[in-house]
Amino acid sequence: MKLRLATICFCAVFVLLFAMPSFAAVGCTLSNPARDLKSLFPEMTTYREDVKEFTKMPDGQEKYDILKARLGDALDPVYESFETPYTLYSIYKGDELLGYVHGVNVAGKGGVIQIFLSVDPQTAQVEKMLFQRLESLGSKQLRSKEFRNNFVGLTMGDFYKHDYFAAKDAANTADKVGQIKPPQGLDDRAMPDYETVMRGVRKDLLLLELFAFDMRHEPFFERAQSSLKQ
Amino acid sequence: MNFFKFALKNLIGRPIRTVLTIGGVALAVAVAVSLGGFNQGYKKAIEGSIEQLGFQVMVMAKGCPYEAATLMLKGGTGLLYLPDNAYTQIKEDPDVQAITPIFIGLAEKQNVGIMGDEDEGDGSNAFTIMSGIDLKSFKEMKPWFTFKTGEGYDGGRWFDENATDEIVMGYEVAEYENRKVGDTFYASVTPNGAVEPVMHEFKVVGVLERTGSQDDGSVYIPLKAAQTIFNRPNELTIVGIKLKEFNGIRMREFEGRWLRIPEVQVVSLQQVKGALISLIGTAQIMIAAVAIIAVIVAIIGVINAIMMSVFERMGEIGIMKAVGASRKQVFILIWIETLFLTLIGAIVGCLLAIVGSGAVDTALRYLLNMGVTTDMVDITLPLLVLAVVSAVILGLLAGIWPSLRAANLRPVQAIRSSE
Repeated sequence: MKLRLATICFCAVFVLLFAMPSFAAVGCTLSNPARDLKSLFPEMTTYREDVKEFTKMPDGQEKYDILKARLGDALDPVYESFETPYTLYSIYKGDELLGYVHGVNVAGKGGVIQIFLSVDPQTAQVEKMLFQRLESLGSKQLRSKEFRNNFVGLTMGDFYKHDYFAAKDAANTADKVGQIKPPQGLDDRAMPDYETVMRGVRKDLLLLELFAFDMRHEPFFERAQSSLKQ
Repeated sequence: MNFFKFALKNLIGRPIRTVLTIGGVALAVAVAVSLGGFNQGYKKAIEGSIEQLGFQVMVMAKGCPYEAATLMLKGGTGLLYLPDNAYTQIKEDPDVQAITPIFIGLAEKQNVGIMGDEDEGDGSNAFTIMSGIDLKSFKEMKPWFTFKTGEGYDGGRWFDENATDEIVMGYEVAEYENRKVGDTFYASVTPNGAVEPVMHEFKVVGVLERTGSQDDGSVYIPLKAAQTIFNRPNELTIVGIKLKEFNGIRMREFEGRWLRIPEVQVVSLQQVKGALISLIGTAQIMIAAVAIIAVIVAIIGVINAIMMSVFERMGEIGIMKAVGASRKQVFILIWIETLFLTLIGAIVGCLLAIVGSGAVDTALRYLLNMGVTTDMVDITLPLLVLAVVSAVILGLLAGIWPSLRAANLRPVQAIRSSE
């Protein structure tokens, strides 16, 4: 009887310890969508979850190339590959679309950083920026509301404008992205994570442009590019 | 008279009833096959998972480690540890062929979940399993480990045994953390006796190829380094043992020798397998009950369909008998209809079970996550043959009564009752 109890107890450990890390694919999904989305949109009545894969889109390669070209640096060949799936959450109150929520994985210095943006479906502006996972020496500062609020109101257009301002007119106060500075007290060793977060938000907005907003900020990109050429 | 052709014609003449009856049989067979597949697959999956552990016997600290569940939920500490002198003592046992000490610790993740941001730090808890291993003996125990290669993974190797900042990651944990060879990895560990976690920085020196086992989710670190960062010097979680000869008698003898150490308990992985299988037994019994009910309903359906067919064709049967058909011929004709119904139903059911096995597997994995990584539903050819043969036999038994009723009809009475 004693032995049986011990065996069953061991089974509990076997199951709990060894079965626990059942990791999903490399995509970025909310760990508890119903709860998380309800907390972001208390008036939500339902939500839709669309898995977006470039491999399954007729113009997938073209879209992937757009992502590469507009991100500003190279995509990771392993974790940001053509095959990487993305999940777009559309939040509804009855038939009314309240917002989109979309997340990305970006490789931080000490582990994956998962960034989620809640975006207004009409204006494509960021309403909230949230971390699902962030293992960093600057975790506290980067997670602070004060830092995250810097992203509220931004659109992909602001990042395209920043490309121009950063090269031609760095002091211009119209550069909303340029106004974002590393949070106060951020450990120097966490600076790479700050830069990764900036890249992650840009990547997230770019993917939203591709998946939800039909590249509506493309004129800003073209204008920035032509201005930079001149 | 071509009985088969005639029976088939009768069935085709009543398509709705025929399809519904076949559907009922198919559903019952599909449930029965899926259950059988689950029985087979689950046992195989458990055996596979245990084989992948590499050892047959484990020695661990005495006391019910159900506390592990508490620590998972509360994010505290609670794993039970045994002194490593148990390892040095057991190592000398003459029956031991190979032995490896393992230290398991849980590194906490910082505020997982977006709620953490909203509630200023009250995020969900999550852990990374850190396995401190003695490299030499561990490699002997699990010789199948190889390093992942390709862009970002080339040059993978085991850590230096004396290193304190090198780790090797299992396939899945590396994928989940987006880590490659040469990357940095942060792990927050609360040392024994401390309150606040300490963040440690490690270098990923290798990523293991997928094994399909629990090893894919673990981060490997030198044993001494693990004991140091968790502040549990000279403590172990598990001692994994491979015996020279593994059978019930040897196991009992071995157990008897080491149960005398007050702090330890000896667990055979065969017992673990048995216990895991019995834990799932209740669910299996419930599914079996559903399958039995489905089979009974299907049998009643077959009897009902054939009886209806007999009643509808009273006149036809009467004329057949009047023009010379014997009782035996009428019986065989009706019986063959039953045979067709059950045979086609069984085949369709088998196909349904094969096609739906993926969905059943996913559902079972969702409802009963019991620590297996391979397929939980294993539908084999012998299982399918058994299902078809059983369905046909049951169907034929169910067809006896309606066939007898038809065979025993008097021609005149039958013709009159059909008017």
